Amino acid sequence: MKKIPKRIWTAAALCLFAAAVCVYLGVTFSSMWKDQPIYPGPGVTEIQMLSDYNPGLKGTHGDTEVYVLDSGKPGAAVLVLGGTHPNEPSGVVAAVALIENCQPKTGVLYVIPRANHSAFTCTDPQEGAPMFFTIATPGGDRTFRFGSRATNPIDQWPDSDVYVHRTSGQTLSGSETRNLNRAYPGSNSGTFTERVTYGITELVKQKDVKITVDLHEASPEYTTVNAIVAHQDAIELASWASMDMQMEGMNISIEASPTNLHGLSHRELGDFTDTLATLMETANPSQGRLRGRTNADLVVKGVDKYYVRARKAGSVTVEFTEAGIPIDERVARHICGIEQLCKAYNELGNEQTIELDGLPSYQEILTNGIGYYLSPGK
Amino acid sequence: MLFLKYVYLAIVALLLALILTNMFKKDKFLYQLDAALVIIPLILRLLLIK
Amino acid sequence: MDIELLVLLAMLGVFLIGNLLLKLPVSLSMILGAVAGALVAGEGVPIRHLFEGCFTYVDTILIISTAMLFMTAIQRSGALEALNALIVTKFYKVPALMLILLMFIVMFPGMITGSSTAAVLSAGAIVAPILLKIGIPKARAGAILAVGAIMGMAAPPVNIPAMLIAGGVDMPYIGFEGPLFLITIPCAIFTVLFLGLKYCKNLDIEELKKDLDMEVGKKYGFKLYIPILLLVVLLVLTRAVPKIMPQLGTPLIFLLCAVVAVFTGRRFNAWEGGLEAMDTTIPVLAKLMGVGMFIQILTLTGARGYIVVSCLGWGLVALYIAICTIMPGFGAVSSYGAASVMGVPFLLVLLDTGDQITIAALLSFICCLGDLMPPTALAGNYAAQIVGLKYKPVLKHCVIPFLVCIALAVIYLLNSKYMGFLTR
Repeated sequence: MKKIPKRIWTAAALCLFAAAVCVYLGVTFSSMWKDQPIYPGPGVTEIQMLSDYNPGLKGTHGDTEVYVLDSGKPGAAVLVLGGTHPNEPSGVVAAVALIENCQPKTGVLYVIPRANHSAFTCTDPQEGAPMFFTIATPGGDRTFRFGSRATNPIDQWPDSDVYVHRTSGQTLSGSETRNLNRAYPGSNSGTFTERVTYGITELVKQKDVKITVDLHEASPEYTTVNAIVAHQDAIELASWASMDMQMEGMNISIEASPTNLHGLSHRELGDFTDTLATLMETANPSQGRLRGRTNADLVVKGVDKYYVRARKAGSVTVEFTEAGIPIDERVARHICGIEQLCKAYNELGNEQTIELDGLPSYQEILTNGIGYYLSPGK
Repeated sequence: MLFLKYVYLAIVALLLALILTNMFKKDKFLYQLDAALVIIPLILRLLLIK
Repeated sequence: MDIELLVLLAMLGVFLIGNLLLKLPVSLSMILGAVAGALVAGEGVPIRHLFEGCFTYVDTILIISTAMLFMTAIQRSGALEALNALIVTKFYKVPALMLILLMFIVMFPGMITGSSTAAVLSAGAIVAPILLKIGIPKARAGAILAVGAIMGMAAPPVNIPAMLIAGGVDMPYIGFEGPLFLITIPCAIFTVLFLGLKYCKNLDIEELKKDLDMEVGKKYGFKLYIPILLLVVLLVLTRAVPKIMPQLGTPLIFLLCAVVAVFTGRRFNAWEGGLEAMDTTIPVLAKLMGVGMFIQILTLTGARGYIVVSCLGWGLVALYIAICTIMPGFGAVSSYGAASVMGVPFLLVLLDTGDQITIAALLSFICCLGDLMPPTALAGNYAAQIVGLKYKPVLKHCVIPFLVCIALAVIYLLNSKYMGFLTR
């Protein structure tokens, strides 16, 4: 019998090793594919899917729940987007808190907690991000996924070298091809990500959504942070809301949506629909470039010694102390911001109103923690 | 351009085949180890896991 | 002492011991460095993190591999030799002009794809034999290719580090052409003349013709060049008319052109060619895997934050020094990584010192130079491979052009407030 050369044995052994690593990684990575449960509160009247607005999404990882909180009384429609960027976790947590607590008294509230559903199924390479983080509730821990900034490449691949925004022709780095917040207003024949934004744009149009609030976070060193970014039509609304937020003790600024930066919700939803398009940013050290050790603790507690140093050196504009910027505070800002935007809409003398009830105040969330207002699960 | 994803998966499969063939042809263990490292992300992409 | 500094020292220490003392491949040394860092930080051996870091490079793997397939195909078909003969016989009378033209040819694929690797492996492979035949020593020819490819990567229309930096501060990638051309073109011309001109003052065309294959071009005629022309046309069209031209992506374009080359010249076994191409590519791809793991662990353990915050805390003069040293130095790991990790915070600090777009463009240019930094030295590595050398002698000749590029970039940076007119 012919002797099998040594190189075949070593190659075969290495193949087995690679296969074992692949199995391990397959199990690990796919653990993010399952949606964490959301427990609809008393205000939820219906759960729709985004594919109801763009049937092309049905059966794909782009389809996602749209929670409808209908007061049953006539009024304005408001849309809240959480999880546009799942690596900005206060957005999804705030959206879940709305679903589990809010009871509108007039008008309808639509909440999409996982706007880029696909991006929740992976984490970004070279970011060292945790896959999950937990928030303590009175009845036990609630687990959330810390996802990726962009659509999972298994759903949309390859990226073009340069991303050309469909309606404006603006060019951006190819990595933005999968960024939901560069894909508005979307297209039902476009990329996976554009089909998701098309669904959202259709919802805004079909339901005559008056206010859209896109919940985000940014690196603390970023220039637009602790801010409401507003389309030019929504500046007055955002200014009113920000005054009330300042009265509640928040430092918040208003930024006009740049007219030459395309694909963002506050630009394109404002331009292509009748909604008053806004976006809120809080400071999230777990996505910053100056951060130290990256783990679930950083996501939840927001404590980071390097940001404290950078703040002292003047490299970071946002206030950053040893106490950090915990997710409780970031979610509180979002919830309070949504409430104040709705109040401002009513105060500006609009015929239809939207009144939200059942939401904890900024101070209450700071005192009790956001976990206190999340369902303990079943 | 959804079919493009499958074209690229085919390219990944082609590269995997070439790398594996080289891996079994070469005597040098460290070269084989390099090849084994490279195939891991390619396999995970081909199987649409990551 | 910060634990993060300890982690960083452990990672670098283990890497250097592995690579220099134990003579392990760069890939394995980087992996060992990454594992050491994770262990020091108390993270155990985080297999998920280690391999997740590699996924940044899946697209890069495809570009490098398909570019190598293309290069091997046009070599085997005879297109490369024919093109060399053509260029030399047409331009030998004006060597300075010929050198500058050759440099622009090297830059071209980099300008279009934003990848220095693609530039070296496609146009570099075409130009290298010409440089060698006119008498430029191998190491200098390699240096010309490496620097040329990097100038191409930095030159507009596509400069990926610039896009990453711009994206990091929500600045549209508009108006970068002026400053980028103003820095890349002079640097490219200087490099090629500095390294090559003295070797091609008195060219004897009859001597040259003896080394060139004048027959293959005559035998197959125009059709021999179809794969190269197709490459240029497809790359240009996807940029020039992106709305009409489907975005095939660089890897598919390279692969299509490689397939065409099988039918347009000397016949060769495509599978054998593919195996040869991948044979030389595997160690470089493995190096990328090591780099991916290294960066992931730097980030996970906070060592990345330590590096960035240390640079930012030093004041403006020291910041400029960091920009000239640490930012291209980070390119040893990844020039894209340097752009997004260091370029963005540096830009934020420098925003008030001059014209923002010019500053972003210049920072991206310096990041691109990182592709010359060992041990990764993507551009240097492939250029060396093409001229048949190890990368050390090639990189030695890159030092002066590198310093000139950095010096010019700093001069521009300090005067960026006068350069705003270029960005309109």
